[in-house]
Amino acid sequence: MKPRASGWIFAAPYLTLFTAFVVGPLLFGFALSLFRWELLSNVKPTFVGFENYAEAFRDPYVHQALGATLRFVWMAVPATILLALVIATGLNAVAGKRQGFWRACIYVPHLLTVSVAGILWRWFYNKEFGILNAFLRPIGIEIPWLSDVAWAMPAIVLMTLWWTLGGPSVVLLSGLQNIPVSYLEAASLDGATPTQRYFRIILPLLRPVLLFVTVMHVIGGFQVFGQVYMITRGGPELSTRSLVQYIYETAFNNYRMGYAAALSWILFAVIAIFTLVQFRLMREERS
Amino acid sequence: MNKKSLRLFSAEVAMGVGSLFFVIPCLLLVLAAFKPDSEIVKFQGILPKQWTLANFQEVLGNPEEIPLLRWLLNSVLISLSTATLVLTVSSLAAWAMARLRLPGKPLVYRTVLATLMVPGQILLVPIYLLLNTLGWLDTPLALIVPAAGGAFGVFMLHQFFLGIPKDLEEAAALDGCSRMSTFINVIVPLSRAPMATLFIFTFVGSWNDFLGPLVFLDSLERYTLPVGIALFQTSYFTEYGLTLAASLLCTLPTFVAFMIFQRQIISGMAASGMKE
Repeated sequence: MKPRASGWIFAAPYLTLFTAFVVGPLLFGFALSLFRWELLSNVKPTFVGFENYAEAFRDPYVHQALGATLRFVWMAVPATILLALVIATGLNAVAGKRQGFWRACIYVPHLLTVSVAGILWRWFYNKEFGILNAFLRPIGIEIPWLSDVAWAMPAIVLMTLWWTLGGPSVVLLSGLQNIPVSYLEAASLDGATPTQRYFRIILPLLRPVLLFVTVMHVIGGFQVFGQVYMITRGGPELSTRSLVQYIYETAFNNYRMGYAAALSWILFAVIAIFTLVQFRLMREERS
Repeated sequence: MNKKSLRLFSAEVAMGVGSLFFVIPCLLLVLAAFKPDSEIVKFQGILPKQWTLANFQEVLGNPEEIPLLRWLLNSVLISLSTATLVLTVSSLAAWAMARLRLPGKPLVYRTVLATLMVPGQILLVPIYLLLNTLGWLDTPLALIVPAAGGAFGVFMLHQFFLGIPKDLEEAAALDGCSRMSTFINVIVPLSRAPMATLFIFTFVGSWNDFLGPLVFLDSLERYTLPVGIALFQTSYFTEYGLTLAASLLCTLPTFVAFMIFQRQIISGMAASGMKE
């Protein structure tokens, strides 16, 4: 059979949308980042070269937002992976029907949409009448969860763990269940203890799934927005304002479209660098 | 054997204790929705001292200011349309790229794949300006149409289609089926599972999307549930009872859907490992 161009008709609707809403905006966004482009102002769009990027490197708010984002990733991702592994191992040890029940229990928070989850935890964290302080007060502790720079980010991370752990736990559980039983039986016959089996056989075999989940969560962590927006709005003192929130505010509160486009390319670069580093580490460890 | 059942038992106890962390906050949401405001803004115990439906009555009885059902309808329509559109265009494109001999295919497929790693936020500003030009801002189109350009569905179905034996299609072609009818009568029935997964995924993603509607929608009666509910925080900031009752109401449909489709949702998640 000869290649026939007419088959492209099937792909045409998708490719039209792909061009119009992915490739086009990607290129347009990069061009935009080279302009001073402000909506709702009389200034005409002017070409400024890489001035927006230069401004971003000088902008203390960018440094702060990048710092907050990195802190979020650093606090949330390792904890997510470790706890999800513990949960998946526990689920895997429970037999049959009840496994499905516990799995559903752990997954339930993710059914709440981000604004509901955020409102709920904002109420829990309330200093005066939140349930957390209501239980801590009798033992003489009162934590200013959302008004103290030291507590705000950990509070967001705790809520995020509650909200998102179900996903990676389910993925890791299915990874565990894909390990052939014969491997474990062979190890037992050779006299391996359960601990040895876990660390010498199960974990190494689980590695591809673990690394995949880690990469996905690092990427997702850099894009954190909803829960921060709902719980602290980036406060106190902008200490929890993430890069995405700063991009959002730059574009849609201050209408500086060119600068916001440059910031989002910087976010992309940061994510790409971290992803590449992780793949590199993965490869080195393997060889 | 005794040691094994002990381990089983301790795993069960550990799961029971651990899952409290996940379940209790959800129960608190349910209970709080039935509390009068005075009990919410001053902690008086976990159970309501005085059960009341006032929060629900006020939330539902005020459609001018709180168009909760309208937001629900918007969310359902937008998520359904998005999932249908994504499934239709992605499956056709994935099939063409997996099966048909097309000039220039490798380059096109690689370009599509490469965009998988582009974070959505990078498109936010240019798409906003594009939608502004098209006049689609503050309409459902702004959320439905751009989503169909995403590469995930094409990637996922392409992988699946490659695994379907070619003989079936060749047999259909010999029987005189056109390419379109081969696709509809042979491929689609074979691909129900991954197509259902893609549909559910896209639906859930669209249902929970927050940044998109926050940026692209502007008027109260056009909001989706997540953005509508978020508005409570600014407008009804002090009325926690109302806010929590509305939150509970808007979680109910998701909860029911999860109960029905639990197996598909969880196995789809586990299979692809994708998570927002």
